Amino acid sequence: MHELSIVKDIFDTLEGHYGARVEDVQQIQVTAGLLSNVQPVLIQNAFDAFIAENRGYAEMELEVVVNDIVAYCDVCQQNFPVHYHRFVCPCGRSSSTIVQGNELYISKVIFKQEK
Amino acid sequence: MSTNTSSPKSAGNRVGSVQCDNTTLHLLKANDYVANAIRERLKDVCVINVCSSPGSGKTTLMQETGKLLANDLNISVLVGDPETERDAIRMREVGINALQIVTGGMCHIEAQMILQALDHIDITGTDLLFIENVGNLLCPSAFDLGEDYRVTLLATTEGDDKPKKYPRMFLTSELMLVSKSDLLPYVPFSVDAVTKDAREVNPNIEVITISTLKNEGIDEWCDWLKEKVKQKKESRLQAEVK
Ligand SMILES: Nc1nc2c(ncn2[C@@H]2O[C@H](COP(=O)(O)OP(=O)(O)OP(=O)(O)O)[C@@H](O)[C@H]2O)c(=O)[nH]1
Ligand SMILES: [Mg+2]
Ligand SMILES: [Zn+2]
Repeated sequence: MHELSIVKDIFDTLEGHYGARVEDVQQIQVTAGLLSNVQPVLIQNAFDAFIAENRGYAEMELEVVVNDIVAYCDVCQQNFPVHYHRFVCPCGRSSSTIVQGNELYISKVIFKQEK
Repeated sequence: MSTNTSSPKSAGNRVGSVQCDNTTLHLLKANDYVANAIRERLKDVCVINVCSSPGSGKTTLMQETGKLLANDLNISVLVGDPETERDAIRMREVGINALQIVTGGMCHIEAQMILQALDHIDITGTDLLFIENVGNLLCPSAFDLGEDYRVTLLATTEGDDKPKKYPRMFLTSELMLVSKSDLLPYVPFSVDAVTKDAREVNPNIEVITISTLKNEGIDEWCDWLKEKVKQKKESRLQAEVK
Protein backbone atom coordinates (compact mmCIF):
# COMPACT_ATOMS: atom_id res chain seq x y z
CA MET A 1 0.00 0.00 0.00
CA HIS A 2 1.13 3.51 -0.61
CA GLU A 3 -0.39 5.24 2.42
CA LEU A 4 3.05 6.35 3.53
CA SER A 5 3.70 8.00 0.14
CA ILE A 6 0.45 9.88 0.59
CA VAL A 7 1.32 10.97 4.11
CA LYS A 8 4.73 12.22 2.97
CA ASP A 9 3.00 14.05 0.15
CA ILE A 10 0.60 15.65 2.65
CA PHE A 11 3.54 17.14 4.56
CA ASP A 12 5.44 18.16 1.40
CA THR A 13 2.32 19.87 0.13
CA LEU A 14 1.66 21.64 3.43
CA GLU A 15 5.26 22.82 3.67
CA GLY A 16 5.18 24.02 0.06
CA HIS A 17 1.96 25.94 0.62
CA TYR A 18 2.31 27.28 4.15
CA GLY A 19 6.08 27.32 4.72
CA ALA A 20 7.10 27.68 8.34
CA ARG A 21 3.46 28.09 9.42
CA VAL A 22 3.14 24.32 9.11
CA GLU A 23 4.34 24.07 12.66
CA ASP A 24 1.20 25.88 13.82
CA VAL A 25 -1.16 23.47 12.15
CA GLN A 26 -3.46 21.79 14.62
CA GLN A 27 -5.65 19.72 12.38
CA ILE A 28 -5.95 18.85 8.72
CA GLN A 29 -8.77 17.33 6.82
CA VAL A 30 -8.13 15.14 3.79
CA THR A 31 -10.94 14.40 1.37
CA ALA A 32 -10.61 11.10 -0.46
CA GLY A 33 -12.99 9.81 -3.11
CA LEU A 34 -13.97 6.16 -2.83
CA LEU A 35 -12.02 5.48 -6.03
CA SER A 36 -8.77 6.90 -4.71
CA ASN A 37 -8.14 3.59 -2.94
CA VAL A 38 -7.40 5.37 0.31
CA GLN A 39 -8.41 3.47 3.41
CA PRO A 40 -9.09 5.95 6.25
CA VAL A 41 -7.77 3.56 8.91
CA LEU A 42 -4.57 2.81 7.03
CA ILE A 43 -3.86 6.44 6.29
CA GLN A 44 -4.54 7.32 9.92
CA ASN A 45 -2.00 4.71 11.01
CA ALA A 46 0.59 5.93 8.50
CA PHE A 47 -0.05 9.50 9.67
CA ASP A 48 0.38 8.54 13.34
CA ALA A 49 3.61 6.72 12.49
CA PHE A 50 4.90 9.75 10.61
CA ILE A 51 4.17 12.33 13.33
CA ALA A 52 5.63 10.01 15.95
CA GLU A 53 8.94 10.27 14.12
CA ASN A 54 8.71 13.99 13.37
CA ARG A 55 8.38 15.66 16.71
CA GLY A 56 7.56 19.09 15.33
CA TYR A 57 4.22 17.68 14.19
CA ALA A 58 3.52 15.60 17.28
CA GLU A 59 0.20 17.26 18.08
CA MET A 60 -1.24 17.42 14.62
CA GLU A 61 -4.52 15.65 13.97
CA LEU A 62 -5.91 14.15 10.81
CA GLU A 63 -9.50 13.78 9.73
CA VAL A 64 -10.33 11.80 6.60
CA VAL A 65 -13.60 12.51 4.78
CA VAL A 66 -14.64 9.89 2.22
CA ASN A 67 -16.63 11.00 -0.82
CA ASP A 68 -19.09 8.70 -2.57
CA ILE A 69 -18.83 8.12 -6.30
CA VAL A 70 -20.98 10.28 -8.55
CA ALA A 71 -21.13 9.96 -12.33
CA TYR A 72 -22.80 12.01 -15.09
CA CYS A 73 -25.31 10.62 -17.56
CA ASP A 74 -25.15 12.21 -21.03
CA VAL A 75 -28.69 11.15 -21.84
CA CYS A 76 -30.39 12.49 -18.71
CA GLN A 77 -27.88 15.33 -18.47
CA GLN A 78 -27.60 14.91 -14.75
CA ASN A 79 -25.48 13.30 -12.10
CA PHE A 80 -26.32 9.97 -10.52
CA PRO A 81 -24.83 8.19 -7.50
CA VAL A 82 -22.77 5.08 -8.22
CA HIS A 83 -23.55 2.23 -5.86
CA TYR A 84 -21.53 -0.98 -5.67
CA HIS A 85 -19.33 0.29 -8.49
CA ARG A 86 -22.15 -0.03 -10.98
CA PHE A 87 -21.61 2.89 -13.33
CA VAL A 88 -25.10 2.64 -14.75
CA CYS A 89 -27.64 5.47 -14.58
CA PRO A 90 -31.16 4.68 -13.34
CA CYS A 91 -32.20 5.20 -17.00
CA GLY A 92 -30.10 2.18 -17.97
CA ARG A 93 -27.21 3.92 -19.72
CA SER A 94 -23.63 3.22 -18.75
CA SER A 95 -21.38 6.13 -18.06
CA SER A 96 -17.87 6.40 -16.75
CA THR A 97 -17.83 10.17 -16.67
CA ILE A 98 -16.90 10.56 -13.05
CA VAL A 99 -17.74 13.84 -11.39
CA GLN A 100 -16.81 12.76 -7.88
CA GLY A 101 -14.88 9.86 -6.40
CA ASN A 102 -11.36 10.11 -7.88
CA GLU A 103 -10.26 13.06 -5.79
CA LEU A 104 -7.61 13.13 -3.12
CA TYR A 105 -6.81 16.48 -1.55
CA ILE A 106 -6.26 18.45 1.63
CA SER A 107 -9.61 20.12 2.13
CA LYS A 108 -9.12 21.99 5.38
CA VAL A 109 -6.28 23.21 7.54
CA ILE A 110 -6.87 24.45 11.07
CA PHE A 111 -4.15 26.42 12.81
CA LYS A 112 -3.39 26.44 16.51
CA GLN A 113 -4.62 29.14 18.77
CA GLU A 114 -2.38 32.17 19.02
CA LYS A 115 -0.70 32.37 22.37
CA MET B 1 -20.72 16.05 4.79
CA SER B 2 -17.74 17.80 6.26
CA THR B 3 -17.94 18.85 9.86
CA ASN B 4 -16.50 22.23 10.56
CA THR B 5 -14.60 22.19 13.77
CA SER B 6 -14.57 25.97 14.07
CA SER B 7 -16.95 28.61 12.72
CA PRO B 8 -18.42 27.91 9.28
CA LYS B 9 -17.55 31.42 8.13
CA SER B 10 -13.92 30.89 8.87
CA ALA B 11 -12.47 30.31 5.41
CA GLY B 12 -9.13 32.03 5.59
CA ASN B 13 -10.25 34.36 8.37
CA ARG B 14 -9.43 34.45 11.99
CA VAL B 15 -12.55 33.61 13.93
CA GLY B 16 -11.99 33.81 17.61
CA SER B 17 -8.48 32.58 17.91
CA VAL B 18 -8.65 29.53 15.64
CA GLN B 19 -7.91 29.99 11.99
CA CYS B 20 -9.47 27.58 9.57
CA ASP B 21 -8.40 27.49 5.97
CA ASN B 22 -10.75 25.72 3.57
CA THR B 23 -8.62 24.71 0.66
CA THR B 24 -8.03 22.30 -2.21
CA LEU B 25 -4.46 21.10 -2.18
CA HIS B 26 -4.34 18.08 -4.46
CA LEU B 27 -2.15 15.18 -3.43
CA LEU B 28 0.10 12.94 -5.54
CA LYS B 29 0.21 15.64 -8.23
CA ALA B 30 3.97 15.39 -8.57
CA ASN B 31 3.46 12.00 -10.20
CA ASP B 32 1.15 13.44 -12.86
CA TYR B 33 3.69 16.13 -13.60
CA VAL B 34 6.44 13.57 -14.17
CA ALA B 35 4.08 11.38 -16.21
CA ASN B 36 3.51 14.27 -18.59
CA ALA B 37 7.25 14.78 -18.90
CA ILE B 38 7.53 11.13 -19.94
CA ARG B 39 4.79 11.65 -22.54
CA GLU B 40 6.72 14.61 -23.93
CA ARG B 41 9.88 12.56 -24.13
CA LEU B 42 8.34 9.43 -25.68
CA LYS B 43 6.39 11.08 -28.48
CA ASP B 44 7.51 8.47 -31.01
CA VAL B 45 6.91 5.44 -28.84
CA CYS B 46 3.65 3.71 -28.05
CA VAL B 47 3.79 3.06 -24.30
CA ILE B 48 1.69 0.35 -22.68
CA ASN B 49 1.35 -0.07 -18.93
CA VAL B 50 0.64 -3.76 -18.25
CA CYS B 51 -1.05 -4.42 -14.90
CA SER B 52 -2.47 -7.45 -13.10
CA SER B 53 -2.39 -9.40 -9.84
CA PRO B 54 0.81 -11.35 -9.21
CA GLY B 55 1.18 -14.25 -11.60
CA SER B 56 -1.59 -13.52 -14.12
CA GLY B 57 0.84 -14.08 -16.98
CA LYS B 58 2.28 -10.64 -17.83
CA THR B 59 5.87 -11.72 -18.39
CA THR B 60 4.92 -14.86 -20.31
CA LEU B 61 2.66 -12.81 -22.59
CA MET B 62 5.30 -10.19 -23.31
CA GLN B 63 7.92 -12.85 -24.05
CA GLU B 64 5.58 -14.46 -26.54
CA THR B 65 4.50 -11.11 -28.01
CA GLY B 66 8.14 -10.13 -28.48
CA LYS B 67 8.82 -13.32 -30.39
CA LEU B 68 5.72 -13.09 -32.55
CA LEU B 69 6.15 -9.43 -33.45
CA ALA B 70 9.93 -9.56 -33.84
CA ASN B 71 9.67 -8.81 -37.56
CA ASP B 72 6.96 -6.17 -37.24
CA LEU B 73 7.86 -4.02 -34.27
CA ASN B 74 10.87 -2.95 -32.29
CA ILE B 75 9.88 -3.72 -28.68
CA SER B 76 11.48 -2.74 -25.38
CA VAL B 77 10.33 -3.60 -21.88
CA LEU B 78 10.67 -2.00 -18.46
CA VAL B 79 9.83 -4.53 -15.77
CA GLY B 80 8.86 -3.56 -12.25
CA ASP B 81 9.47 -6.08 -9.53
CA PRO B 82 9.58 -5.55 -5.77
CA GLU B 83 12.80 -7.49 -5.28
CA THR B 84 14.28 -9.43 -8.19
CA GLU B 85 15.78 -9.13 -11.68
CA ARG B 86 14.16 -12.33 -12.91
CA ASP B 87 11.53 -11.02 -15.28
CA ALA B 88 13.98 -8.80 -17.19
CA ILE B 89 16.30 -11.78 -17.57
CA ARG B 90 13.37 -13.79 -18.97
CA MET B 91 12.80 -11.01 -21.53
CA ARG B 92 16.42 -10.83 -22.61
CA GLU B 93 16.50 -14.61 -23.00
CA VAL B 94 14.09 -14.25 -25.91
CA GLY B 95 16.03 -11.33 -27.36
CA ILE B 96 13.93 -8.42 -26.06
CA ASN B 97 15.62 -5.22 -24.92
CA ALA B 98 14.67 -5.08 -21.22
CA LEU B 99 15.52 -3.24 -18.04
CA GLN B 100 14.42 -4.18 -14.54
CA ILE B 101 13.08 -1.55 -12.20
CA VAL B 102 13.53 -2.96 -8.71
CA THR B 103 11.01 -1.04 -6.66
CA GLY B 104 12.59 -1.98 -3.33
CA GLY B 105 9.53 -3.67 -1.93
CA MET B 106 7.16 -0.99 -3.20
CA CYS B 107 3.78 -2.15 -4.42
CA HIS B 108 3.61 -0.01 -7.55
CA ILE B 109 5.79 1.85 -10.04
CA GLU B 110 5.80 5.65 -9.90
CA ALA B 111 6.44 7.90 -12.89
CA GLN B 112 9.72 9.07 -11.39
CA MET B 113 11.09 5.52 -11.59
CA ILE B 114 10.25 5.33 -15.30
CA LEU B 115 11.88 8.67 -16.01
CA GLN B 116 15.06 7.52 -14.29
CA ALA B 117 14.98 4.13 -16.01
CA LEU B 118 14.81 5.83 -19.42
CA ASP B 119 18.34 7.11 -18.84
CA HIS B 120 19.59 3.55 -18.51
CA ILE B 121 17.98 1.83 -21.46
CA ASP B 122 18.64 2.54 -25.11
CA ILE B 123 15.23 2.85 -26.76
CA THR B 124 16.39 4.37 -30.03
CA GLY B 125 14.12 2.97 -32.72
CA THR B 126 11.67 1.44 -30.26
CA ASP B 127 8.06 1.44 -31.55
CA LEU B 128 6.46 -0.20 -28.56
CA LEU B 129 7.50 0.11 -24.92
CA PHE B 130 5.87 -2.21 -22.43
CA ILE B 131 5.96 -1.36 -18.75
CA GLU B 132 5.27 -4.45 -16.66
CA ASN B 133 3.84 -3.06 -13.45
CA VAL B 134 4.19 -4.71 -10.07
CA GLY B 135 1.62 -7.48 -9.57
CA ASN B 136 -1.14 -5.61 -7.71
CA LEU B 137 -4.60 -4.45 -8.79
CA LEU B 138 -4.89 -1.65 -6.25
CA CYS B 139 -2.01 0.79 -5.99
CA PRO B 140 -0.76 0.90 -9.60
CA SER B 141 -4.16 2.23 -10.67
CA ALA B 142 -3.42 5.56 -8.97
CA PHE B 143 -0.12 6.20 -10.76
CA ASP B 144 -0.01 7.48 -14.32
CA LEU B 145 3.28 6.37 -15.86
CA GLY B 146 3.01 8.47 -18.99
CA GLU B 147 1.51 5.54 -20.88
CA ASP B 148 -0.71 5.74 -23.95
CA TYR B 149 -2.71 2.68 -22.93
CA ARG B 150 -3.26 0.69 -19.81
CA VAL B 151 -3.87 -3.04 -20.25
CA THR B 152 -5.02 -5.19 -17.34
CA LEU B 153 -4.75 -8.96 -17.32
CA LEU B 154 -7.21 -10.99 -15.32
CA ALA B 155 -6.50 -14.71 -15.21
CA THR B 156 -9.37 -17.19 -15.22
CA THR B 157 -7.96 -18.62 -11.98
CA GLU B 158 -8.54 -15.35 -10.12
CA GLY B 159 -12.34 -15.40 -10.18
CA ASP B 160 -14.67 -13.28 -12.28
CA ASP B 161 -15.59 -10.80 -9.54
CA LYS B 162 -12.45 -8.68 -9.80
CA PRO B 163 -13.65 -5.68 -11.86
CA LYS B 164 -16.08 -4.70 -9.10
CA LYS B 165 -13.51 -5.27 -6.36
CA TYR B 166 -10.80 -3.22 -8.03
CA PRO B 167 -12.88 -0.73 -10.01
CA ARG B 168 -10.25 1.94 -10.42
CA MET B 169 -7.93 -0.46 -12.24
CA PHE B 170 -10.59 -1.40 -14.76
CA LEU B 171 -11.91 2.13 -14.97
CA THR B 172 -8.51 3.40 -16.06
CA SER B 173 -7.73 0.55 -18.48
CA GLU B 174 -8.43 0.61 -22.20
CA LEU B 175 -8.18 -3.16 -22.54
CA MET B 176 -8.84 -6.13 -20.30
CA LEU B 177 -7.11 -9.37 -21.26
CA VAL B 178 -8.82 -12.42 -19.78
CA SER B 179 -5.73 -14.65 -19.54
CA LYS B 180 -5.16 -18.39 -19.14
CA SER B 181 -8.30 -19.25 -21.10
CA ASP B 182 -6.92 -22.79 -21.47
CA LEU B 183 -7.95 -23.29 -17.83
CA LEU B 184 -11.60 -22.30 -18.36
CA PRO B 185 -12.80 -25.94 -18.36
CA TYR B 186 -11.39 -26.39 -14.85
CA VAL B 187 -12.37 -23.22 -13.01
CA PRO B 188 -15.68 -21.53 -12.18
CA PHE B 189 -15.14 -18.44 -14.32
CA SER B 190 -17.50 -16.85 -16.81
CA VAL B 191 -16.00 -14.65 -19.52
CA ASP B 192 -19.45 -13.19 -20.20
CA ALA B 193 -20.01 -12.30 -16.54
CA VAL B 194 -16.59 -10.69 -16.17
CA THR B 195 -17.07 -8.74 -19.40
CA LYS B 196 -20.45 -7.50 -18.21
CA ASP B 197 -19.02 -6.46 -14.84
CA ALA B 198 -16.01 -4.75 -16.39
CA ARG B 199 -18.28 -2.81 -18.76
CA GLU B 200 -20.50 -1.69 -15.88
CA VAL B 201 -17.41 -0.14 -14.40
CA ASN B 202 -16.03 1.10 -17.72
CA PRO B 203 -18.37 0.96 -20.71
CA ASN B 204 -15.52 1.64 -23.12
CA ILE B 205 -13.19 -1.15 -22.04
CA GLU B 206 -12.20 -3.61 -24.77
CA VAL B 207 -11.94 -7.29 -23.88
CA ILE B 208 -9.79 -10.00 -25.47
CA THR B 209 -9.63 -13.55 -24.13
CA ILE B 210 -6.21 -15.15 -24.45
CA SER B 211 -4.12 -18.17 -23.60
CA THR B 212 -0.43 -17.59 -24.09
CA LEU B 213 0.20 -21.26 -23.39
CA LYS B 214 -2.20 -22.57 -26.03
CA ASN B 215 -1.85 -19.59 -28.38
CA GLU B 216 -5.49 -18.53 -28.24
CA GLY B 217 -6.47 -14.92 -28.91
CA ILE B 218 -2.83 -13.94 -29.30
CA ASP B 219 -3.27 -12.89 -32.94
CA GLU B 220 -6.08 -10.56 -31.92
CA TRP B 221 -3.87 -9.10 -29.18
CA CYS B 222 -0.96 -8.61 -31.59
CA ASP B 223 -3.29 -6.92 -34.11
CA TRP B 224 -4.53 -4.62 -31.34
CA LEU B 225 -0.93 -3.67 -30.56
CA LYS B 226 0.02 -3.07 -34.20
CA GLU B 227 -3.05 -0.86 -34.62
CA LYS B 228 -2.16 1.21 -31.54
CA VAL B 229 1.44 1.67 -32.69
CA LYS B 230 0.17 2.75 -36.10
CA GLN B 231 -2.26 5.24 -34.55
CA LYS B 232 0.49 6.73 -32.42
CA LYS B 233 2.76 7.21 -35.42
CA GLU B 234 -0.05 8.77 -37.45
CA SER B 235 -1.02 11.21 -34.72
CA ARG B 236 2.64 12.13 -34.41
CA LEU B 237 2.87 12.84 -38.15
CA GLN B 238 -0.29 14.94 -38.04
CA ALA B 239 1.09 16.95 -35.16
CA GLU B 240 4.22 17.63 -37.18
CA VAL B 241 2.27 18.83 -40.22
CA LYS B 242 0.36 21.35 -38.10
N1 LIG C 1 -2.29 -22.28 -17.89
C1 LIG C 1 -1.64 -21.17 -18.23
N2 LIG C 1 -0.62 -20.74 -17.48
C2 LIG C 1 0.02 -19.61 -17.83
C3 LIG C 1 -0.35 -18.87 -19.01
N3 LIG C 1 0.45 -17.79 -19.10
C4 LIG C 1 1.29 -17.83 -18.03
N4 LIG C 1 1.04 -18.94 -17.28
C5 LIG C 1 1.75 -19.37 -16.06
O1 LIG C 1 1.43 -18.50 -14.99
C6 LIG C 1 2.55 -18.35 -14.12
C7 LIG C 1 2.89 -16.87 -13.93
O2 LIG C 1 3.25 -16.31 -15.17
P1 LIG C 1 4.11 -14.96 -15.29
O3 LIG C 1 4.18 -14.64 -16.74
O4 LIG C 1 5.36 -15.07 -14.53
O5 LIG C 1 3.13 -13.96 -14.55
P2 LIG C 1 3.40 -12.43 -14.15
O6 LIG C 1 2.08 -11.75 -14.24
O7 LIG C 1 4.52 -11.87 -14.95
O8 LIG C 1 3.84 -12.60 -12.63
P3 LIG C 1 4.47 -11.49 -11.64
O9 LIG C 1 5.46 -10.68 -12.45
O10 LIG C 1 5.10 -12.28 -10.57
O11 LIG C 1 3.32 -10.66 -11.15
C8 LIG C 1 3.68 -19.12 -14.77
O12 LIG C 1 3.79 -20.37 -14.14
C9 LIG C 1 3.24 -19.26 -16.20
O13 LIG C 1 3.78 -20.41 -16.82
C10 LIG C 1 -1.43 -19.38 -19.80
O14 LIG C 1 -1.84 -18.83 -20.83
N5 LIG C 1 -2.05 -20.52 -19.35
MG1 LIG D 1 6.22 -10.87 -14.29
ZN1 LIG E 1 -29.44 8.51 -17.51
